[in-house]
Amino acid sequence: MADPASSNLGRMLTDEITPVVMVLRTPLVEEATRKNGLSFIELLNPFCAFNNIDVPVRTASDQPYRLQKFKLRLFYASDIAQPNIEVAKVRIKQVITRAGEKDFPEVSSNPLAIETVLGATQHKVLPSWFQVFNQELVHTVSFAEHEAFDHPVACLLAVSSKDEESISKFVDLFNTNQLPSLINDGAMDPKILKHFVVVHDNQDGMPDRATKVLTEMRNTFGANNCRLLCINSSRDGSVERQENPWASCKSDGSQFQQLGCFLSLDDVDELKNSMQDLSSKHIIPYMEQKIRVLNQQVSATRKGFRNQIKNLWWRKGKEDVPDNPNGPTYTFNSVEFQIRVLGDYAFMLRDYELALSNYRLLSTDYKLDKAWKHYAGVQEMMGLTYFMLDQSRKDAEYCMENAFSTYLKLGSSGHRNATRCGLWWVEILKARDQHKDAASVYFRISGEEPLHSAVMLEQASYCYLFSTPPLLRKYGFHLVLAGDLYKKCDQVKHAIRTYRGALSVFKGTTWNHIKDQVHFHIGKWYAFLGMSDVAIEHMLEILACGHQSKSTQELFLRDFFQVVQNTGKTFDVLKLQLPVINVNSVKVVFEDHRTYASETATSVKEGFWHSFEEDMIPLLSSMRSNWLESHGKNFTQKYKESNICVAGEVIRVHVELKNPLQIPISVSNVSLICEHSSGSDETNPDLNSSIDNDQLRKLAINGKIGAEASSFLSGEIDLRLGAGETVVAQLSVIANIEGTLEIVGVRWKLSGSVSGFCKFDSDILKKKFARGKRKSKKSSGNYLKFLVIKSLPKLEGFVHHLPETVYAGDMRRLSLELRNPSNTPLKNLKMKVSHPRFLNIGDQDVMEMEFPSCLEKKRSSAEVYVPVKTCKARTVFSFPEDMVICGDSTCLWPLYLRAAAPGNHSLYITIYYEVGDASSIMRYRVLRMHYNLEVLPSLDVSFQISSHPSRLQEFLGRMDVINRTSSESFQVHQLSSVGNEWEISLLQPMDTVFPADFLMAGQALSCFFKLKNCRKWVNAEDNPSSLVPSEKADIRLVCGNGEALFDTSRLPLVDFHHYERLHQGISDQDHQTTVDFILISQSQSDDKSGINIFSHHACDCSVGSSSPIWWLIEGPGTVTHNFAVDFCEIKLKMFIHNSSDVTASVHISTFDSAPTIDSLSTGASVSSANEAGWRDLSVLNDIKVTSDAVGNHSGKLLSPASVSPFIWSGSSSNRVTLEPLSSTEIALQICVFSPGTYDVSNYSLHWSLFGSGDEDDKETGLRLSSGTCEGHSYYLTVLQQG
Amino acid sequence: MIVCVAAVGQQNNPLYIQSFTEADDALKLHHIVHCSLDVVDERVNNPKKSGPTLNETFLGMLYPTENYKVYGYLTNTKVKFILVTTDLDVRDADVRNFFSRFHAAYVDAVSNPFHVPGKKITSRIFADRVRNIVKSFGLSSTG
Repeated sequence: MADPASSNLGRMLTDEITPVVMVLRTPLVEEATRKNGLSFIELLNPFCAFNNIDVPVRTASDQPYRLQKFKLRLFYASDIAQPNIEVAKVRIKQVITRAGEKDFPEVSSNPLAIETVLGATQHKVLPSWFQVFNQELVHTVSFAEHEAFDHPVACLLAVSSKDEESISKFVDLFNTNQLPSLINDGAMDPKILKHFVVVHDNQDGMPDRATKVLTEMRNTFGANNCRLLCINSSRDGSVERQENPWASCKSDGSQFQQLGCFLSLDDVDELKNSMQDLSSKHIIPYMEQKIRVLNQQVSATRKGFRNQIKNLWWRKGKEDVPDNPNGPTYTFNSVEFQIRVLGDYAFMLRDYELALSNYRLLSTDYKLDKAWKHYAGVQEMMGLTYFMLDQSRKDAEYCMENAFSTYLKLGSSGHRNATRCGLWWVEILKARDQHKDAASVYFRISGEEPLHSAVMLEQASYCYLFSTPPLLRKYGFHLVLAGDLYKKCDQVKHAIRTYRGALSVFKGTTWNHIKDQVHFHIGKWYAFLGMSDVAIEHMLEILACGHQSKSTQELFLRDFFQVVQNTGKTFDVLKLQLPVINVNSVKVVFEDHRTYASETATSVKEGFWHSFEEDMIPLLSSMRSNWLESHGKNFTQKYKESNICVAGEVIRVHVELKNPLQIPISVSNVSLICEHSSGSDETNPDLNSSIDNDQLRKLAINGKIGAEASSFLSGEIDLRLGAGETVVAQLSVIANIEGTLEIVGVRWKLSGSVSGFCKFDSDILKKKFARGKRKSKKSSGNYLKFLVIKSLPKLEGFVHHLPETVYAGDMRRLSLELRNPSNTPLKNLKMKVSHPRFLNIGDQDVMEMEFPSCLEKKRSSAEVYVPVKTCKARTVFSFPEDMVICGDSTCLWPLYLRAAAPGNHSLYITIYYEVGDASSIMRYRVLRMHYNLEVLPSLDVSFQISSHPSRLQEFLGRMDVINRTSSESFQVHQLSSVGNEWEISLLQPMDTVFPADFLMAGQALSCFFKLKNCRKWVNAEDNPSSLVPSEKADIRLVCGNGEALFDTSRLPLVDFHHYERLHQGISDQDHQTTVDFILISQSQSDDKSGINIFSHHACDCSVGSSSPIWWLIEGPGTVTHNFAVDFCEIKLKMFIHNSSDVTASVHISTFDSAPTIDSLSTGASVSSANEAGWRDLSVLNDIKVTSDAVGNHSGKLLSPASVSPFIWSGSSSNRVTLEPLSSTEIALQICVFSPGTYDVSNYSLHWSLFGSGDEDDKETGLRLSSGTCEGHSYYLTVLQQG
Repeated sequence: MIVCVAAVGQQNNPLYIQSFTEADDALKLHHIVHCSLDVVDERVNNPKKSGPTLNETFLGMLYPTENYKVYGYLTNTKVKFILVTTDLDVRDADVRNFFSRFHAAYVDAVSNPFHVPGKKITSRIFADRVRNIVKSFGLSSTG
């Protein structure tokens, strides 16, 4: 370890614990020195410190050594007293305040990074005023009575040569009433070394009188103790010096030059010599002498075994003395005090061994006497002596700790002493690099006085910083604690300084609670000092404090805005954290040749549109097949490099703004920052590629004010973000002039007072963009850079009256409005619809007609029916050639909507058009429309059809309708079969089946109807009028005759039916054995103005059998016969109908054994499989509709009969040939031998179709060319007659 | 009474910090926890007492402040758990028991596939579990 004397504490001690010289002077002396702007002591002070005095000294045991450094402390007698506490406090406060002003960090300087703080040396980082402060603190307890080192060793009496009766003046000076109380109280030996000086001012004339006085003095006081001091030799007061020795004694260097201006070099030399003389020839020998004397005394009374015993015994006897907090008073005569003086003198003369032995001796005495203050003082000195001896570290610490705690035990009186002791202790620890312990001592020193505590805490924090390894977090924490205390004492600048120091610790960590608090307070304090700029800078850091509690967030924001308002101006902030801009979310929507009718259309993936429009858009190569080819090439080159947008058209940018707070914020004037350069200066693309923050700020502020004010127009929007809300702001910019436009960033205003900017980082976007599909090759270009081209006509389209939510089956007519605001005509319009099942393009002439009444069947039969050609391949609809839309005219085109199936559906419409003006860069554009349609379930319709048990070509059908809606009620209007092959009639009048008008929500309806096949053989060449659908194809299901039926063969219905079939995967081929139904219902529309029409299509409902051969057995149901006479012969007739288009051969074979159960109902199983949309309804469970089911049941019952109860008679096999769509009749006969009930079904029918080699049949694969059917059940009851 | 528990990640970033006091002293407790990391670092870097404490996760009392006692625990993944208590005489066994239960809860919380390692633990279940552990702290010794 280094020499303790050269340590910080060592220097401190050699400065502080030095002999005190009491100065007594007459007013005239003071007057003389005042001419130099100095008091007498100030005049002498610079010459009291001797760095190289080299005085030989002997220890008490006659060991010689030399003193190199020495210092005297001069005090006026009046100052030798315990300082007034209040005055001291004010002084200390001044020190701190002044330091605060001086050390206040530069506003511009950022808090140091923690690495630099760590790397810097102690002296650089540690504020220098700490030493001054600590010194002041130590001085508050100087001249204590229990310590001797502040007691004057010598007395300097100064009388001016102008003083009358100098000798008596000297005597008067050392008068008791002028002497300090220490001497008067007897705490100090009044017999001290006296030195007499006569001060002569050379300006007052020659020193004759002074020498006279001196001789007089010498006679009176002794030759050695007197001295003449001549000052002010320089008359004109213009002495120039290289180095003013008095510079340090006046803190404010205002009259720096005047200090000592009358002192010539001789004067200074004289001063120097006289002071050196005083110390080396008088004071040091005097002290040496005194040490010797005292040591002898102490040795005589206290040293040695006998004396110790005696002393112990004597002290024991005093034990009953009541505890006096200050301990017994020791006068200068007492042995204890003499030992103390001895120790202190030895310490001051650096004879530490001697000092230590005496202190040790003394401390036991004081301890036994319970003189705690004295004891603590001695312990303190022991600690220091140990330190200076650099012997036992532990002992030094132990002593200091002991002293410290003993002082503290004394209560408030000892507190300041404890502080001094603590400061010394800290220095001891610091000198030994025990910084952590030092910090804890600092922490213990910090007492009630908040200001002092603050400084102590700050010093403690630096100890943590300097300890190895550095305890940075503790450093930060203690700085924060210190800052809080500073703030409490209104030392705002100190508070800011400490907090800024702490900030360097917390910077970059994720301890946001702490960080926010630090920033917040710094901001507030800067605002308090009126430095709003810095205040706001710090406040900005805490704005995005989503992790804080709501009340804290409110506090932060309120204070922030208060600060901003106080400044009275708006601030431009580059990195405003509120709201959070999600740069990754930036989405740019612009229109080149692709235009969009609505926002939703833009959100559809480009890939979808691309494939959807594939068959509409001409290939790029075909586009350039004219004289513009070269132009086109050039264009595509540019086209590849950047995005194209059209002048006057809007570029939309979607940006996500997020409010991380729990309190709403208002964001206004959100707009895009853009840069426009007219002309295609593609030559220098790098120019704009990197815009730094300053440029951004300039751009953002200038905005529209710039020279190119009219070149683009950036729209502004205002938002209010609720707690935690994320809003996608849709910003827009319109370029007005051709050239290039680059979107640089976004700007906004928070609560109308703070402007924020955010740059769209093109790197991030580029990366994101590279993943996109549009132009993956384009990696070098800027996503946000646009080539603005000349304005082009743009078609606008809108579908009117398209509802968002409809019930399934709802059929409406919509109108598509097309508008072209420009005067350039558009041509070659084409349209494509994504879901023809939902959306159908009508003819223009239907626009004038009223819907839905135009669908109604006309009463007058005069109208010639025109069969509708179904438009199978019409995926792309071309508008008529002569249609030209231009000049703000609108064109309405009908569309039909039918909500075919429940669910959410996206309908896409693309309209392709070419620009009439051939000179434009773009040849064509497309308009994309997208609509979402939510379809709710409405009516469920299901049909079941079975063959009529007793009539050929007739079928019984059941229709079940359930209202699946929750509130809507429908009026079932009409049931129609599609085509002209079937006739429908109700079995019962509708009002008996369902008397109510409306089918309420949840209600079900079943009705039975008869279906008759009226198919006739016709040739294709026949008059088409014969295809007029029969009137009977429709039945009215509504009561009352008022309303007309709808014609299901009219255009939209037919088309929709076609697409419905297509959707269900059914070929358009007719099938004899299936029926398509359309159920039309109505409901009041929402606005009560009209009715909504709903059409429900049930396709391919199978009739009873899949075979083209229908047959029926007819005969008596009950026969009465007398079996006693004869067996019974019963004649039956079988009617066979060929429903197919070709000739069929039918072979009937009978067999007498009972039919097996398995084969019984093949037909039935087929039919039940074809029961389209059948739903199991509990209500209807009991109603036996299907005869098959009954047959199944009875067949099971009857089959166990082992003997066939009847036999077929007559021919057992019949073969007939049937022409297409014709019927025939075959006679059958059975013989019954006993009465009973018989199921005559044990026959089978084999059929085969001739000429079924038609291509069609094979292709469809649906028809059977041959097959076998088991017989239908036919029950016959034979009764015994009589 | 336990006033604060915290889990601190490898980079000394707070993963979870929760105070259990009525008073509004969250900031102070944050500071205390933050400071105690210094001590943890110190202990980990200068293992003076090696040997039996070599693989010990429990770090013992980190430092006593005026009103609090701070205990520390270091997992194998260098995640620190800090416990701040106002109890004056705390049994080591109780603290150990607390930390082992807290550790288990922490492991369960970070095993959640939706938890991002190194980010704050926001699981409500974890918070409830910690609250229960805190509530039951010291009960085993008394009853």
